[in-house]
Amino acid sequence: MFDQIFGNFLVETGKITEEQLADVIAYESTVRVKLGLIAVAEKLLTNEQADEINQLQAIMDKRFGDIAVEKGYLTEDQVSNLLKKQGNIYMVFVQTLIDKKLMTLEEVDAALESYQSQMGFTHSDMDALVSGDVDRTVKLFLPAENDLMARHCALAVRTFLRIIHSSAYVSKAYMTDKLSVDNVAMQTLKGEHIITAAFAGVSDSLLCVADTFAGEEFDAVDMDALDAVGEFINCINGLFASEMSNEGMELDMLPPEFFDRPSELSGEKLCVMPIHIKDKDIMFITSFDEEMIVK
Amino acid sequence: MARILIVDDSRTSRKMLRTILEENGHEIIDEAVNGQEGVQKFQALRPDVVTLDITMPVVDGVEALKMIKALDADSKVVMVTAAGQKNKMIDCIKAGANEFLTKPFDKDEIVNVVAKLATE
Repeated sequence: MFDQIFGNFLVETGKITEEQLADVIAYESTVRVKLGLIAVAEKLLTNEQADEINQLQAIMDKRFGDIAVEKGYLTEDQVSNLLKKQGNIYMVFVQTLIDKKLMTLEEVDAALESYQSQMGFTHSDMDALVSGDVDRTVKLFLPAENDLMARHCALAVRTFLRIIHSSAYVSKAYMTDKLSVDNVAMQTLKGEHIITAAFAGVSDSLLCVADTFAGEEFDAVDMDALDAVGEFINCINGLFASEMSNEGMELDMLPPEFFDRPSELSGEKLCVMPIHIKDKDIMFITSFDEEMIVK
Repeated sequence: MARILIVDDSRTSRKMLRTILEENGHEIIDEAVNGQEGVQKFQALRPDVVTLDITMPVVDGVEALKMIKALDADSKVVMVTAAGQKNKMIDCIKAGANEFLTKPFDKDEIVNVVAKLATE
């Protein structure tokens, strides 16, 4: 996500244009190949093994390398070498900006400092951001609430990047007690805690989730499209409930609910995390131990 | 080829299952959107295999499974579940579930599970 987050800051501050950012990100994908493809090219995995791991990723919420080690296909040393070959997203992004003569290294450094100052990030926060680690990045953008909420949001973003769109990125989340949305799909988990998770959209922005998850093209954010979004939330919550169950906390999943008209969400503490895909903005909303009411 | 009844409140899941199973030569004889409707359609149609979602409104999958097994102890029922429903899965095993499928769907897993039950 670093490339999208910092890249969009560069666009907003006039350092590069939107077209140049799109070009840099497209170029990155040609030089930063997926781990599975490198492993197959290095003849460490067969195509079938790589496909199997890709499928398991959808239901296991683990990194490709971790699953490969668990299955006995790769050793930890082999994964470490493959990651080095893949390269860090920060290094690849900065190198691409320089190679394409869009910015000098000094200009990139100055822009990073400016971004750090604007966001109020510490040096440690910046280390987390440039590491490319999704969990560490998501935590930076969340308000200081409870740890479970941070883990749930991080899992949602990881699953989003894996299943819906690998170029999605987040911006600063915020707490509110009221939120107006055009449409929303939500699901509640009940047990030791009551946790509600929702994806809400502006206009037709939720179509990018519905179309990709269901594998079809919806004309509008109607109940069928929201059903697909609800099933995606069901997958996220299933992974979260599984993680919690391994730690001794059982959570029951209630059927998802949908609202295909402008609605007002309210609750004591709603955490709203904006997720961006190209020009579409959607919101991942969570509520912990407080009711989320839809009017 | 098996005659299959799909019971799931999600249109998306019903459509995905229907597409995969029909592509592999099975006949979807009907669909139901909750456990109550699923039990009624099971009684009327007597399918070879039922796919039954666990999380549904009105009557959930665990209760519907018990009712179907009470109607026919030899019925072949595949429970459809998201990850993280361990307790519900244990309830399903106790109630006689024959197989499980996990969402999001793995096409090969669906085909193998239904083929296995259809030939038992």
